[in-house]
Amino acid sequence: MSVEIELSSIFGRFTDNKLTFQVEGRTVGECLKGLFKQYPRLEKLLLTKEGELQRAYDVYVNGESAYPKEMTKKVKDGDKLNLVFIIFGG
Amino acid sequence: MLTEREFQRYDRQIMLYGFGEEGQEKLKKAKVFIAGAGGLGSPIALYLSAAGAGTIRIADRDKVELSNLNRQVLYHDEDIGKGKAKSAAEKLEKLNPDIKIEAIAETITDANAAQLVGDSDLIVDAMDNLPTRYLLNKTAIDKKIPFFHGAVYGFEGRAMTVIPGKSACLNCIYHGATAPSEKFPVIGITPAVIGCIQAAEVIKYITGLGELLTGRLLNFDAIKMTFNEFRVKRDPDCEHCGKL
Repeated sequence: MSVEIELSSIFGRFTDNKLTFQVEGRTVGECLKGLFKQYPRLEKLLLTKEGELQRAYDVYVNGESAYPKEMTKKVKDGDKLNLVFIIFGG
Repeated sequence: MLTEREFQRYDRQIMLYGFGEEGQEKLKKAKVFIAGAGGLGSPIALYLSAAGAGTIRIADRDKVELSNLNRQVLYHDEDIGKGKAKSAAEKLEKLNPDIKIEAIAETITDANAAQLVGDSDLIVDAMDNLPTRYLLNKTAIDKKIPFFHGAVYGFEGRAMTVIPGKSACLNCIYHGATAPSEKFPVIGITPAVIGCIQAAEVIKYITGLGELLTGRLLNFDAIKMTFNEFRVKRDPDCEHCGKL
């Protein structure tokens, strides 16, 4: 399954400012693993020790939240994932 | 009734289709609570004052610092060290002496949130931390008044309008998640864009115009120069609004 991942620009410092990626995977977790292979620092930032998504981050699949079991959420060919940070500034 | 002076002041918006004298009178009667007088609170308060929102209650406990001035456009260099709420009220009264500005230099807490909001018709979120946002979200739901969420970080911002019992609230979408409260990077254009979106939502709600930003989390990213939306749903188990 070929899936597009779009990152919020605030993740750019971990990815040399590249913000869109084409990855392979059947679940959100598999897709993110493809990203983590290229950018291992992202994995430490985003995942808990148990491999779940940290609560300060959200994944949307085709514009809808993948909460609560984001990592096992199934995806299909052509889907788009958005990875965002829960921003708090004002 | 609008005065002759008000007809002149608001002439260009009274001309708007669907807005008219009736819309202006609704704005004049409105009581708006703005929580925070910083980066978001500045454009929100400026544009709601200019538009003629009749009573604006603005709450912020902080004092103006030099490092605020890249984005908090209500303040000038000479205001450094002054209380934000009072300084903001002075500027807004000069901008529009025909409206009432109430400055509150207090921290918003569990104990006083409902009292500070008082009989305001709505709450505008211009805070700089998630815990107070959740508190204000809950206060709005308890009072059954709308909550206009906005937040910024760097070149990125988000906005969403909450109508209690009808659309997803902040807790429905974030489930009580928190982010580390820390000094965050931001450039002034980001709260300017998001604050103006929040002010637009407030004006639309008060006047009954258009389609509100409910059930949709708007995401603005100035680096990509994109606006996109995430569809968000009410959580029937939400601790804030699930019982409505």
